[in-house]
Amino acid sequence: MTQTLVPTVADRLRAIVGSDHVITQPDRLVAYESDGLTAYRVAPRAVVLPETTEQVSKVLEVLHGEGIDVIPRGAGTGLSGGALPSSDGVIVGTARMNRILSIDDQNRLATVQPGVINARLTKATEPYGLYYAPDPASQSACTLGGNVAENSGGPHCLKYGVTSRYVTGLTVVMADGEVVRFGGAGLEAAAGLDLVGLFVGSEGCFGIATEIEVRLLPKAEGVRTLLGLFDTMAAAGHAVTDIISSGLMPAAVEIVDHATIVAVEASVFAAGYPTDAGAALVIEFDGTEAGLDDDANRAEQCCLAAGAIEVRRAASEEERIGLWKGRKKAFGAMGRIAPDLLVQDATVPRTRLPEVLARITEIGEEYGLNIANVFHAGDGNLHPNILFDRQNQDELERVERASREIMTLCVSVGGTITGEHGVGIDKRGYMPLVHNEVELEMLRRARWVFDPGGNLNPGKVVQ
Amino acid sequence: MTLVQDLRSALPDVAVRDGLEVATGLRGGAEPELVVSPSSTSEVVEVCAWAGRQGLGVLPVGRGAHVDPVRDGRFIVLETSGLTGIEEYEAADMTITARAGTSFGVVDDALAEHGQWAPFDPPSVRTRSIGGFISAAAHGPLWAGYGALKNHVLGATLVTGDGRILRLGGKVVKNVAGYDLLRPVVGGRGRLGIVTSVCLRAFPKPHHERVLVLSDRSVPELLDAGVALGTAPILPVSIVVSGPLTELDGRSALVVRLHGAESTVDADQATLESHIRAPLDRVHEADSLLDEIRDRGGVESRCVEVSVLPSRLRDVVSAMRNVGFASSVVDSYAGRIRIGSNSLEREAVDALRGAAEGAGGALRVVRWAGDDRPAGTPQREAEAGLSERLESIFDPDGVLWPVRP
Ligand SMILES: Cc1cc2nc3c(=O)[nH]c(=O)nc-3n(C[C@H](O)[C@H](O)[C@H](O)COP(=O)(O)OP(=O)(O)OC[C@H]3O[C@@H](n4cnc5c(N)ncnc54)[C@H](O)[C@@H]3O)c2cc1C
Repeated sequence: MTQTLVPTVADRLRAIVGSDHVITQPDRLVAYESDGLTAYRVAPRAVVLPETTEQVSKVLEVLHGEGIDVIPRGAGTGLSGGALPSSDGVIVGTARMNRILSIDDQNRLATVQPGVINARLTKATEPYGLYYAPDPASQSACTLGGNVAENSGGPHCLKYGVTSRYVTGLTVVMADGEVVRFGGAGLEAAAGLDLVGLFVGSEGCFGIATEIEVRLLPKAEGVRTLLGLFDTMAAAGHAVTDIISSGLMPAAVEIVDHATIVAVEASVFAAGYPTDAGAALVIEFDGTEAGLDDDANRAEQCCLAAGAIEVRRAASEEERIGLWKGRKKAFGAMGRIAPDLLVQDATVPRTRLPEVLARITEIGEEYGLNIANVFHAGDGNLHPNILFDRQNQDELERVERASREIMTLCVSVGGTITGEHGVGIDKRGYMPLVHNEVELEMLRRARWVFDPGGNLNPGKVVQ
Repeated sequence: MTLVQDLRSALPDVAVRDGLEVATGLRGGAEPELVVSPSSTSEVVEVCAWAGRQGLGVLPVGRGAHVDPVRDGRFIVLETSGLTGIEEYEAADMTITARAGTSFGVVDDALAEHGQWAPFDPPSVRTRSIGGFISAAAHGPLWAGYGALKNHVLGATLVTGDGRILRLGGKVVKNVAGYDLLRPVVGGRGRLGIVTSVCLRAFPKPHHERVLVLSDRSVPELLDAGVALGTAPILPVSIVVSGPLTELDGRSALVVRLHGAESTVDADQATLESHIRAPLDRVHEADSLLDEIRDRGGVESRCVEVSVLPSRLRDVVSAMRNVGFASSVVDSYAGRIRIGSNSLEREAVDALRGAAEGAGGALRVVRWAGDDRPAGTPQREAEAGLSERLESIFDPDGVLWPVRP
């Protein structure tokens, strides 16, 4: 049962952020009951929406003084329940902290508030011929603060690396309201441990990032996009391994499986993928125009050698968007055929993809569940998506049992339980699959280093 | 019973010798009580526990060339030279795991057999032990094209000061299962534990490398060109400005590396030349030149490093008059200057630190023979406090990191 906030505390918060920006009305709190992991829902006591580092600091000071738990929240697109409220906690949301503070094209850096939407940063840096590389599939909605907290990846992280490679400095408000600076471009030679690197991926448990300094890259001159269509997932998996081990450096290699193709083609997002294909592979190269056709030709040869039935190549930006559509709209399409969708996330060594995917299909059959795969194949980062109805208790239990089996499988081949969505509450129970008790205890102590009172996002990652 | 005898009776299988033959980096500082060379992670655990009982500090040492002298305190040296060999190399997955004492050259040779490499280029990289090189987060200018070393260390096995074994990270490229404790270990200089094995990400060897040079210009002009190249529409894999190079008949130069297909590097060269409105000379047999640049500052008895935003490099370099540019190399994309010289003076370094900090940057003393060691730029107070707390969870009894300069 959600506790209401003591009026005096609510008033103090209103005095800091303005009365419009403290939400306590139950009908308005509904929107904050879950993140992208919709299987869990809890109403928070209140939602506070500060606008500046100073306001975040004062808000945290008040909540810390009152011993009230804090749940940081960006756009709420997280898929592991990282921003799931607790019934006695208060959400501190970054929606109003959406200013791009500076773009330094000379040094290729940008400093942003945490509520800036990922795609907006790229748009804003375009006039300088620059962009922000990590591109989660949710980039039109998710925030940089959420990306930092989850160490998010995206299709093009195969070539360019994930969020942690791009974050150079942070301003963080600690649990008690203290404002701390970590790192900063140009300061690499100052002595000390890499706290920026440690903070990235800390899932809202170490502090609230209120200013984020990131490195930008020059926009590639050209791009080539291919769509390889295969009879079987195994053949597509082999093509991935061949492409990467042939020395090519694709920017992205993404797989869409048969079940997903069928879902996409039956939806308003129909992309023109043949519904009898066992798997589709989206391959993209970017860089200097001059070498791109060679790269694309070689990748096409790899696909054909692995048994592709057809390889399409985009001849224009419009066609490129078309080839990507089946990948990018997959979640939306699946959302329309089942009330709930559990987007799973795990990583395996790339060469183990074919056998792991075959086994995931069997697991789906054994539990009578519809599992569709769409994922970052080049990194071995799987997203088995389980379609279900959370009102159906029996089905929900089967989803949980199947998820555990998939996680155990991925770990058994040398992989791990999450490649980019984080642990949150969803994967907490799987942590013993990858960490022994000594290591889990170390993670608890790491949280203590930053938040000795344990007020920030309690119950997430490790208990 | 002497300490050596005590250790021999407590841990009969661990190789031990007295501390008289100190590693080169430790010369001029306190001497270790003894030197041990464990041959497994479990022996490292036992050594840490034994040292803890004896009230001795433990200093992990790889090749010994890149450690700092210890100011005082009773400590032992734990050599990783007994921990060698490649544990696992999955060429198709492009991951390689090696024990900490393995020299990077061994790893590099194994990768080369499969047309792969690990794009790391700090000074004398081939002879460095992989554990030491991870602990120092040693980097070079290939950072521009490939990202820093810390992005490519996928996993490590670490023995904490109180003898716990932690497997950090893993052997897959993407992994966010829990807080990333591996990150502060990379570059942690042994403060958080003893790395006993490391998993690195490998890359396909580039099909073609082109090395381009601009010389016959003043150092400020070369520097401007280097900084300007960092804003070009294509990003070379490394951009450096070096003081006089033997391989270029004693000329200072801007040296740029391009990787890719031949047609790509042709086009990239043209783009760069038009960006700085100057032709770049192609060097055909560039290996010795690249080695000379990479190793600059790596062998001299004194070495400092400055970091600053690239746009402020000129300010710092112009303050280098007393230090001299002769022994320097600048990674102009990263904004890093490395200066190695046997005759570097403390006052000059202090002044340089002032200039670096005045330009929003920082200075680190990498190596300093002699006792007038200057101070580097410290971490901010709050960061230092958190770092200390972090150390306390890895090394609660303070066994690691005996008193350093
Ligand atoms: C359709 C879809 C596609 C997706 N595709 C990808 C993908 O390709 N790659 C990928 O990595 N992820 C993907 N995601 C997951 C999700 O978008 C990312 O995890 C994203 O980074 C979350 O950002 P957010 O702003 O929504 O954060 P939220 O969901 O609001 O929060 C996520 C976590 O961050 C914490 N947090 C938020 N802001 C801060 C802050 N300022 N300081 C400290 N902690 C904070 C929260 O407490 C929580 O633990 C996808 C999600 C969806 C719905």
